[in-house]
Amino acid sequence: MGDTAALVAALNATWFGSGLPPSAQTRLADMGRLETYPGGRELLTEGEVAEEVGIVLEGRIALRTLVPERGMVTILTIEPGDVWGWSAIVPPYRGTSTVVTIEPVTSIVFEGAALRIALREDSKLAQVLYPRILVAVSRRLAASRLQLLDLFARDATAGA
Amino acid sequence: MMTIEVTRPERTTTAGRWYLERAGLDALVAALREDGRTVIGPTVADGAVVLAEIHSSAEMPHAVGDVQGPGRYRLTKRDDARVFGYVVGPTSWKRWVFPPDVELSTGRRTGHRVEFAPTASHPTKLAFVGVRACELAAFGVQDRVLDAGPFRDADYAARRESAFVVAVQCTTAELTCFCTSMGTGPEVEHGFDIALTELDEGFLLDVGSPAGQELVDGKLASALRPATPVEVYTAAADVAATRARIGDPLPTAGLHDRLLAQLDNPRWAQVAERCITCGNCTLACPTCFCTSVIQKTDMEGIAATNERAWDSCFSPGFARVAGGSFRSRPRDRYRQWLTHKFGTWWDQFGTTGCVGCGRCITWCPVGIDVREELMAIAPPVALSPEPIRVEPVAASFNDFVVAQVVATRQETADTVTLTLAGADPAFSKGNLGQFAMVAIPGFPPLPISISRFTVDGIELTIRGAGPATKAMTALKVGDQLGLRGPLGNNWPIERAVGRDLVIVSGGIGLAPLRPVIHALAADRRRFGDVRLYYGARTPADILYREEMERWASRGGIEVHLTVDRAGPEWEGRVGVVTQLFDQATWEGANAIAFVCGPERMMQATANTLAGRGVTPTRIFVTLERHMECGIGLCGHCQMGKYFVCRDGPVFSLLQLGDTFGREGI
Repeated sequence: MGDTAALVAALNATWFGSGLPPSAQTRLADMGRLETYPGGRELLTEGEVAEEVGIVLEGRIALRTLVPERGMVTILTIEPGDVWGWSAIVPPYRGTSTVVTIEPVTSIVFEGAALRIALREDSKLAQVLYPRILVAVSRRLAASRLQLLDLFARDATAGA
Repeated sequence: MMTIEVTRPERTTTAGRWYLERAGLDALVAALREDGRTVIGPTVADGAVVLAEIHSSAEMPHAVGDVQGPGRYRLTKRDDARVFGYVVGPTSWKRWVFPPDVELSTGRRTGHRVEFAPTASHPTKLAFVGVRACELAAFGVQDRVLDAGPFRDADYAARRESAFVVAVQCTTAELTCFCTSMGTGPEVEHGFDIALTELDEGFLLDVGSPAGQELVDGKLASALRPATPVEVYTAAADVAATRARIGDPLPTAGLHDRLLAQLDNPRWAQVAERCITCGNCTLACPTCFCTSVIQKTDMEGIAATNERAWDSCFSPGFARVAGGSFRSRPRDRYRQWLTHKFGTWWDQFGTTGCVGCGRCITWCPVGIDVREELMAIAPPVALSPEPIRVEPVAASFNDFVVAQVVATRQETADTVTLTLAGADPAFSKGNLGQFAMVAIPGFPPLPISISRFTVDGIELTIRGAGPATKAMTALKVGDQLGLRGPLGNNWPIERAVGRDLVIVSGGIGLAPLRPVIHALAADRRRFGDVRLYYGARTPADILYREEMERWASRGGIEVHLTVDRAGPEWEGRVGVVTQLFDQATWEGANAIAFVCGPERMMQATANTLAGRGVTPTRIFVTLERHMECGIGLCGHCQMGKYFVCRDGPVFSLLQLGDTFGREGI
């Protein structure tokens, strides 16, 4: 129970978890655990089965993708409050990028399989959790579109 | 934009300049009266110099001086025989061009019928003797208010049109005078028929209009002789001495924005504890124009006369509607007066409402000094180096001044900062956000933002993207280039005083914001939280890296960086710049934002800022458009109603409205 209270408090400190109904917070807290990773730890590999979903509490995580002849390219960093590993609850449950900590990270972590079962069985939980997942994913989509424009590539003169 | 533009032609010749003996003043008054004019001039009454009808110069003050201060006015005896040896008194010419009570119309109600009949205005021909420079400026202000359309006050126009103006150069000044701050005096420059400068025994007389010339050639001819060079010199020296006596002008640059950003300043309540809302300031003011219409009816209530009378925004009923008054508290009324006179008057009439005559200071019974209130409520920002409007140099189509590269710094693989010296001093006095047209023979001139103002020059940060910019970034120490500028408007940093400031920039867009950060750091305590969000393409494209570390460590500025993509060695953030603050915890209600980068990035930023509660009136962006001349003549950079080079490049989102980010504008 002590762990549950600590996890509820941790959830409340993030945009993702705060504002969820208490029942959903407790349900999530019961399923989750707190993890601390050192910098440089690979949490998920692009194309591999995603087994965990997490919410960053402290530290920074990079999403990287392998580009032939350019090596690993960081395309996004994930900051406290945001979600990593959402592929674990969205078919085909495989990572869309490689997830690496770039400094020591504290995260709430959920087992993807357990969370999938909970979301399937508990429609109230699904009702409040999926919109947040959708927000997290759509923010990344919108940001990725802006990045895709490569706006600074043609930006020549300063301002005027 | 805050001072009335005054040009000061050098007058060194004596041609067309006359000398009038002091006794000859009577001939002037007589000639004006013979012309069928009612002559208004200064007289002494009730212990003050007041304006009234005069029939001869004998009724004018002789050997009279004055001492004025806040809430203080005394006449003194002068040792000489001067007729104009004092400054402005409680009355102004407004009384004659815009009388305090005028019958407008009559009305009748008979049974079911109503009739209205306008009262015809038959103003007499007027002549004003002794109009000071500040008062000529007041005529200019009133002309804008009452006679510039779309609706005109015909009675005012007729009176103004009829009046012959004898101006007087000020050869004395009091503590209350601040014409130099408002750019209205003490020199009389235009707007008169005849101008006098009083000397020991008489007057230097200048002609300012065909009507003045006619008088000089006709009725006044026998009283005049050509002025000697000594008289001309003495007159000029006396006026120059008056300017010196008035002292340093108030820092009025940006006063409009500074004031309007202070609607919640606690000083309004403090000054209202002294203000008794008597309205003296507005009645003594030569430009206050607010009136009320009073109905007077006969005993039966059938016939009525409508009279217009001067009113004041300090009157308790001035802003009253059925539910109460919009400005019920004295602080509301004081704020209304001050913010209108020095602020929104610009928006309505394209000029300040204040001419710096000082009447409102002298005639305030509790001695409130408007200058002190302005500087307390809306103090200037200490900016580098001088926050005044700078006249650009080489401001014509094909002109450039030459500057020399004295240092270069490679910022990134393709971006260089050039330190320039030897250009016109105007450049180092430029304002934050201004740009220069930069030219190398053989390449088209390009607009480049000034990224730093130094004591004797500027810095330009240039990214070598095309042939011209590549030629510029290839310049070495000792090479020269051509400059036109400084051009364009500036970031409204005065409006950020007391607020949180959010600076969002992308790529090379940090360059025009760099001087803002320098200025902020120099005067940091005047601002709330300052946050800089900067996005670059890759870690190698980040500008001013070392400087940015200093801003964060010593400048009290939160610096947040992100890049669009990075290799695994980069441990900073990756993502678009809006992600740096879209989940931040700060509240935007009190914030002002300056944004510079590619237009698509600025749009996304503006949306995110709006989502954080920053209002569009306080989100400023700088636009990039094709510019060839930089001075609003070539037409390339038109965007809607604006020329970006001349009216921008800095605009608020409110100004741009739905043209911002719209395709094809």
